[in-house]
Amino acid sequence: MSEDKFDAIIVGAGIAGATAALLLAREGLSVVVVERGNYAGAKNMTGGRLYAHSLEAVIPGFAEAAPVERRVTQERISLMTETGCFTASFLNGRPGAPDRDSYVVLRGAFDRWLMEQAEAAGAMLVSGVLVDDLLTRDGRVCGVIAGEDKMPAEVVILADGANSQLLERAGLRAEPVGPRQMAVGVKEVIEFDDKVVEDRFNLLPGEGLAWLFAGLPSGGKVGGGFLYTNKASVSVGLVATTAEFMKSERTIHELLERFKAHPAIEPLLKGGKLAEYSGHMVAEGGYDMIPRLYNDGVVVIGEAAHLVINLGYTVRGMDLAAGSAQAAAKAVIAAKQAGDFSARSLAAYKTFLDDSFVIKDMKHYRKFPHFMENSRLFNEYPEMLEKICAGIFTVDGRAPASMLSKLMEPMKEVGLLNLMKDGLKGARSL
Amino acid sequence: MAKIVACYKWVIDETDIRVKDDLSIDVSRAQRKLSDYDRNTIEAAVRAAKEAGAQAVGLTFGTDKIKPSLKEALSRGLTEVYWVASDKAESADGKITANILAAAIRTIKDVSVVLCTDGSSDSFARQTAPRIAAILGWPVVTGVRQLEIAGDAATVTQARENSWETLRAPLPAVFAVLPEINPAPIPGLMAIVSAAKKPNTELKAEDLGASFETNVRTAGAKGYAMDRKNIMFTEGAMADRVRELALALRKEGVL
Repeated sequence: MSEDKFDAIIVGAGIAGATAALLLAREGLSVVVVERGNYAGAKNMTGGRLYAHSLEAVIPGFAEAAPVERRVTQERISLMTETGCFTASFLNGRPGAPDRDSYVVLRGAFDRWLMEQAEAAGAMLVSGVLVDDLLTRDGRVCGVIAGEDKMPAEVVILADGANSQLLERAGLRAEPVGPRQMAVGVKEVIEFDDKVVEDRFNLLPGEGLAWLFAGLPSGGKVGGGFLYTNKASVSVGLVATTAEFMKSERTIHELLERFKAHPAIEPLLKGGKLAEYSGHMVAEGGYDMIPRLYNDGVVVIGEAAHLVINLGYTVRGMDLAAGSAQAAAKAVIAAKQAGDFSARSLAAYKTFLDDSFVIKDMKHYRKFPHFMENSRLFNEYPEMLEKICAGIFTVDGRAPASMLSKLMEPMKEVGLLNLMKDGLKGARSL
Repeated sequence: MAKIVACYKWVIDETDIRVKDDLSIDVSRAQRKLSDYDRNTIEAAVRAAKEAGAQAVGLTFGTDKIKPSLKEALSRGLTEVYWVASDKAESADGKITANILAAAIRTIKDVSVVLCTDGSSDSFARQTAPRIAAILGWPVVTGVRQLEIAGDAATVTQARENSWETLRAPLPAVFAVLPEINPAPIPGLMAIVSAAKKPNTELKAEDLGASFETNVRTAGAKGYAMDRKNIMFTEGAMADRVRELALALRKEGVL
């Protein structure tokens, strides 16, 4: 290796980039991570939930040392209408198990910690620098360009997130991603005095709640709301497919305000102070939107490779990011040993990834994004449940209807055939 | 080679400071940064060194939290940074800071110019440069907006209230510069990477023999909150509420 040529330049210090940097540095490769934010995590965003299993494989017991907010022990899913909210709630009282647990995290603190682990292993972080372009020679990627600077490397690892500008430059995606494959997310972090979060959400110290919503939060369009409990704050926000905003008269900020003002939410946020407002693009296309993953001198990992699974009741990105970083690091380490960073050599990344939970899970839920594009999920079903519940729980002195008709009337409005069709389709795509 | 020393301070990022409801100040979650105008000062040292064929080095005094500052200062073009870390730095005033910095400057060989920023972005007390000069017995000019080094003297332009004054000082000398002296470019990729290879030298506070004595003690710190009247017009039709609002504003002498 020449004096200033790195083995690897990683673009982006998120979970994917920092994990790859850590693994490569551990094996003695020279690694520099270039991050456009002023620190790792500065520009990164999550609703909040990290499934621990894949990072656990890299840093066993990481949650002991890392700044995680709370371990998730309570799950809630709600179907929300303007005047109602039907909620399923589950308390998982089993003791924690590192490979099964999940944590609420705030990326500003968490990513910084993860990157520090990579730096301690020998990786270098360059923050506050935007990579403008890739350095190429004879069609192969051989470094990055940032401003006036050109920096060579044996391999460039793209970990620059959902809105990667470098994928096309690397020849990994021919067509730009359409608005149906991208969602936009907004989030507010609302702070409370200590203890308020635990009292208000009925939590034990260190334990947390993950709550997802369908229906009203995304304005009846494809998407959903979320609420996660942090140590002394709550993350509340929503995600909606960008295509919906092209024809919607409401902005996403207005949707968030309406969600927060809902009678099921407003009392929970009362007295809190807004500490942070953020917005971000989210890749939502599923397995079919994964780009080509490698080329001569370049691989792509994390959300830049559209490795996101959104099932409505489970939203995953960060564990897939760490998983893809492990597959890529394995391939890059092998490429370094062989002294061959060509596409043929880096193809091992795809083999490792295909073999890992990342692609297996993505494939399993392949049909789900199409299932989610069903407007009944966000309109008719929340309303149906509201009518059923209002019918069952209301006493007004009038002659009672039979339970069967209380259930059937609202279901007939949606159409029994539709219900069956959607039920089957949903069950099959899961 | 003669050295031009840029003094800088690693301060709490003021945007992270929170004033709690009881007006106590919470800096527990605050990040640190290079004092804003020190970025211009470091650039001034780098430019002056280039012109004068000298070497631009950095010098800082702070707690054990100053380590991350070294990479940032070096990425801005300094060739080396000297640093003094002490847990007493958090409460150090201008007198202690100047004592430490002056003692450190004495240990650095061939210093021809010391540049400080006119004031730091946290306390803005504007004491460091004059005090260092007094301790070392060197000339000092504050409010410097232009600096030219030629041989063993420097010509500086000082900003006065309604005028600029050009002064000449024999070297070695201390100058407190204004941010307008030059822009502070954001370091590029190569500059940051090469900073990792540059040397930094820790100077131990106890070896410097400088005094930590001062007569000024911080008695307390309290946030400042504006009192608001909290009058809300929530009743009645919108037009009536607007009328009430206008009336109240007129009563207060705002309109």
